[in-house]
Amino acid sequence: MTVLGKRIARGVEFAALTLPAVAAIVVVVMVPFGMSVVNSFMKWNGLDKKPVFIGLANYVELFTDDPNLIAALIFTLFFTVAMVVLTNVIALLLALALNQPLRGRNLLRAAFYVPNIISLIVIGYIWRFIFSKGFDSMYAATGFAPLNLSWLGDPKLAFASTVFVSVWQAVGFYLVIYIAGLQTIPYDIVEAATLDGAGPIRRFFDVTLPLLMPSVTVAVFYSLSNALKTFDVIFSLTYGGPGTATTSIALDIYKTAFSDSRFGYGMAKSVVLFLLILVVGLLQIGFFKKREVES
Amino acid sequence: MKRSLLALAIFAIALGGAAAQGKTVTVLFYSPELTQQYDDMAAEYQKESGNKLDLTVLQADYPTVLRARLNSGDIPDVFMSSAYADNDTYKDYVYDLSNEPFIKDMVPTALTGVTVNGRVIGYPFLVQSHSFIYNKKVFRDAGITKLPTTLKELEAVCVQLQSKGIQPFATGFKEWWVLPQTAWQALAPLPASYKGDYSTFVADLNSGKLKFKNIKEMGQVFDLLDLIKKYGGNKPMESDFNDQCASLATGKVAMIHQGNWAEDTIMKTNPNAEIGYLVGPVGNEAAKSGIMFDSNQTIRVAKDGKNRQAALDWLNWLTTSAYGKAWIPTMIKQMSPIKGAVAPAAQLAKETSAMIAKGVPSYSWYYQRFPSGLEQGLGIVLQGYCAGQTDRARTLDALDQTYAKIAKAAD
Amino acid sequence: MTRAPRLGWLSAILFALAIVYLYPLFLVVINSFKGFAEIMANVIALPSAPTLDNFANAFKRMEYPRLFLNTLIATLVGTTGVVLLSSVAGHKLSRTKTRLSWIVFIFLVAPMMIPFHSFMIGLVKVAKSLHLTNSVWGLGVLYWGLGVPLATFMFHGFVKTIPTELDESAIIDGCGPLRKFFLVIFPLLKPVTVSVIVLNAMWMWNDFLLPLLVLSGNKQAMTLQLAAYNFFGQYKVEWNYAMAGVLLTLLPAIVFYLALQRQIIEGMVAGAVKS
Repeated sequence: MTVLGKRIARGVEFAALTLPAVAAIVVVVMVPFGMSVVNSFMKWNGLDKKPVFIGLANYVELFTDDPNLIAALIFTLFFTVAMVVLTNVIALLLALALNQPLRGRNLLRAAFYVPNIISLIVIGYIWRFIFSKGFDSMYAATGFAPLNLSWLGDPKLAFASTVFVSVWQAVGFYLVIYIAGLQTIPYDIVEAATLDGAGPIRRFFDVTLPLLMPSVTVAVFYSLSNALKTFDVIFSLTYGGPGTATTSIALDIYKTAFSDSRFGYGMAKSVVLFLLILVVGLLQIGFFKKREVES
Repeated sequence: MKRSLLALAIFAIALGGAAAQGKTVTVLFYSPELTQQYDDMAAEYQKESGNKLDLTVLQADYPTVLRARLNSGDIPDVFMSSAYADNDTYKDYVYDLSNEPFIKDMVPTALTGVTVNGRVIGYPFLVQSHSFIYNKKVFRDAGITKLPTTLKELEAVCVQLQSKGIQPFATGFKEWWVLPQTAWQALAPLPASYKGDYSTFVADLNSGKLKFKNIKEMGQVFDLLDLIKKYGGNKPMESDFNDQCASLATGKVAMIHQGNWAEDTIMKTNPNAEIGYLVGPVGNEAAKSGIMFDSNQTIRVAKDGKNRQAALDWLNWLTTSAYGKAWIPTMIKQMSPIKGAVAPAAQLAKETSAMIAKGVPSYSWYYQRFPSGLEQGLGIVLQGYCAGQTDRARTLDALDQTYAKIAKAAD
Repeated sequence: MTRAPRLGWLSAILFALAIVYLYPLFLVVINSFKGFAEIMANVIALPSAPTLDNFANAFKRMEYPRLFLNTLIATLVGTTGVVLLSSVAGHKLSRTKTRLSWIVFIFLVAPMMIPFHSFMIGLVKVAKSLHLTNSVWGLGVLYWGLGVPLATFMFHGFVKTIPTELDESAIIDGCGPLRKFFLVIFPLLKPVTVSVIVLNAMWMWNDFLLPLLVLSGNKQAMTLQLAAYNFFGQYKVEWNYAMAGVLLTLLPAIVFYLALQRQIIEGMVAGAVKS
């Protein structure tokens, strides 16, 4: 085969192997999102048969005249930092613990995973009961002061509550990723470090963590974009309330598009949200990929 | 081989025959608490007419699903919405029912919410009322004999209840929709200059000529919300619809602001509960305090639905047949907009009729005229006020800002 | 070096933590055995007269067997497609160190950053034009596009832990690229594959919003989550049936998860590296 022939053959092989995945993405995400981008330049309530083209007016409005969006942005940023740090640290610690040969390990892994697969509507309702009625009963029984605070009704405390329930719900998912990652670390390398006299903490930071970086990259990236997009837990727990105290950007977009009937404006906000996540995500991947070690 | 072919042929003919008989009308409704009643009615309709109703009943996300389907061309023959502002929202999709024979059988006042420029573009489904619901036994036990009609009297009742160790209100403030229904009732008579003319009132708000911060009666609204919060227990912002119904039914609280749709949940929690309505205070003007009464939940026929005529036939049956006329009062146990319908055997419905007969003011749900999306938008602003996020001045500004934005986007 | 005593104490702490962690689920369980009025009266108390009525009723109203099959089909079709598409693409992209490869990789992964609500209406329109709506098979196909991003990301990353010598050894054997991949590389990706299967199967089984949007026109095609959701109305939550319905929907997922946990065999890669 000629050099050119080989190049073409390689190109064809590349295309054939990646095309199915690309096609799925194009059809299911790119085309629909493209439609939304087009709609972001329209004044449209999502129903009228004739949307009105208004150019960049939606984008101008969202940058200059939307206090609710600013509040949602601030909430989302604080929420994201808290969520990403807590979820990953807890999931990693649990993964390390559950990677040890323990009795009932599978059951424990399942136990921490289950909250991730309970319907979010139910999670919202149950936690609402726990925070108000449950805490009332526990306070009556124990007199422990923090139980008497309004964890969902006080705007400041509601932030903590939404983070808490979100982390509770999410940890199981990242636990799976970290456990899988730990499985790929050859035991002999860890053993070698132990024989060299490294204590557990040094073993973790010098051997385990670097080899775990692919998992960390995936987990941090995914938890980061999920936190920036956070919607479901907040929707069912507080609906962004009280007032707008716990409204995230995604919930603000949902309300704008489907409740305020400002569909075009809502789509403009989602384009901006996507760009925000894209920038943050790319920065994060770039930073982490440099630290990945191939075995 | 021949015999099985014959059998197959007979089978195919029979199948084809059966399919040719009844038409199927696709229906997309909400209020899943009425699913049983919807199903029973559909079964009866199929028996009487041979036509089938393919019912899908949803709740939250109903507007999203409806939008998705209307947009993608998967149009349901019949769907549901609010009245008033939703006439405009769905204007490209609804069929004009003005010339249908069954419209004359509807109570004329029920048609006000669905008539635009003389054309009737919706079919009123339920007639409902809302105000303060009180537990009669709790009031009796607390020694309250005179029902309050002003803000001062309501406060006095609260003080009396508290002295007996009873929490006066379950606020319901966790639900954004409880705020508008509670608040707008206190504004229902409208500022004097409007003389109860809701169209002009809303038109002035839409154009920006009138602003909430210039309506001095908003003070009454805030006073009422403050009162409910003050006497709403130690976690007033965490009370939701379930809490309201459960607490009222068991006698844990004395009053909630809700509507006759809540009766079912209340009675299922405590079949012996005795409930009634209190008028909603309008400041201290006893004569103006009344209840909110209107037909808002509306059935719409899709203009471009594939089985439009079958849908109209069904509505005709619903309005004129014996089963249809009795369906809402006896099976759903709410008030019907059909002329001559019987009164339902429900406590709040009875109270509503009695109060109206006595001359207690009954106000339409005028806040449904605000451009679509404002019920929730303004409700959330008011919720923020109750949570202490904004003071009265900032809340009024927020109401005006929110209103202006959505009104502008809707025109 | 004995590790048993230290692990015993760790085990105890973890179990205690797990119990607290699962308290909300405990509430769902105890309430599924109570009648409506009892739940409204006190959510936290244990049932006074436990009954299986709620389960029987929910089972019937949800038309469990049929909907179970529907949900299973959507999940199977979706998960299988995601695993196949992403493993092949992820591996190829990870091994190809060109600019184009990096761009395609970003393209495949970028959808993770797009909020679902911002394109779901468009998706319904596209799905309808491709005749993928009102069918659980169509739903499964739609899931491919939604599951590929994270799965590709995961495969792409973990392929790095497999030495390239293995890829080359397969070429010498004269295999075509796909055969080479599935016979040699794919088995080594087992831990990741199992994770991808678990994560995707779980969210597809529990998914609510997309089924709500594309299946609402066909009652025959409903999934379990949709049916369970109907117990939650704005004005009436049928708590007793809702809790039972939730458990009926959750149980298969938990069983599946526990079964798969046994499939992750440790040290697989260690073994491969050694040889």
